[in-house]
Amino acid sequence: MSAREFGEAWALSQLSPGIHLVALAGLIGRRIAGWRGVVAAVAGMMIPAALITVALTAAYGVIAASPLARAALAGVAPVTGGMTIATAGLLIRASGRHGRAHLATDVGVSIAAVVATLVLGMPTLAVIGAGAAVGALALGRERPTSRESSVG
Amino acid sequence: MDALALLGVFLKASLLSLGGLSSLPLLRADLVAPGIATDDQLVQAIAIGRISTGPNGLYIVSLGYLVAGVVGATMALVAATLPPLVIVPITAVARRWLLATPVAGLVRGVALATAGLLVATGIGIVTATGSPSWWQLTLAAIAVVLTYRGTLHPALVIAIGAGAGLALGR
Repeated sequence: MSAREFGEAWALSQLSPGIHLVALAGLIGRRIAGWRGVVAAVAGMMIPAALITVALTAAYGVIAASPLARAALAGVAPVTGGMTIATAGLLIRASGRHGRAHLATDVGVSIAAVVATLVLGMPTLAVIGAGAAVGALALGRERPTSRESSVG
Repeated sequence: MDALALLGVFLKASLLSLGGLSSLPLLRADLVAPGIATDDQLVQAIAIGRISTGPNGLYIVSLGYLVAGVVGATMALVAATLPPLVIVPITAVARRWLLATPVAGLVRGVALATAGLLVATGIGIVTATGSPSWWQLTLAAIAVVLTYRGTLHPALVIAIGAGAGLALGR
């Protein structure tokens, strides 16, 4: 697989719904070994990680009710909230790689979404639909060209 | 909630999100608001997802396990795996169309709307207890900076939170 092929697979994976790394694994798998490659690449990425995730969750469940775990959770909760907010920043950074004017647009659209959901009480699904419509009509003039992103 | 309904909720969140944690606002709306899951469970799932291997988006497997055991985890795994793969057959027949500007614009619009929703969801998680104390707000701010910069491993950021909770949360 050439660097150019990988770059194109990466760009296409960023357009997929859900976890982009799964799409990337699928595209690489197909390129290398057809549909069997898709199954092998995606299973290899997801099944061990899912098993480890379930094992960790089950292990945590054993101690979850203890006072120490409750205390730790009081610190972990704001951290995960902060991580969630930072993920928004990473999404905007990945989207706005086209200079300052675009960054202003991107931040503006994101703030509109915050206001729509927190102030106006708009349903989550409606906010996503509005974003899709605004994007398709007004934000499509430039293609995403960069390969850098930290959003998995 | 039966297994198929749970699969439906996870599939919807996966299909309408773009990468990693971005399924979180939809899942919080569909699971926490009706009382099927709690914010505590959401926090545990996100934390475990960050500590565990694999893509960040696998936090939904942890959430599925917390809500409905192994069956829930399986439903979440299926829902995390199938939607991204629609890109494979589509690229085979319509690669040019996919890289055309209206599609790129649509994806950009969804990403930006999701960014706004993630901010709202993060605020919701931080304030879930009603009135977060000064050290919890400080932790949230530290986590924002560390995660955005991405230089410290997420598991260590979680550990900072757990340590602070043990020291100050009792």
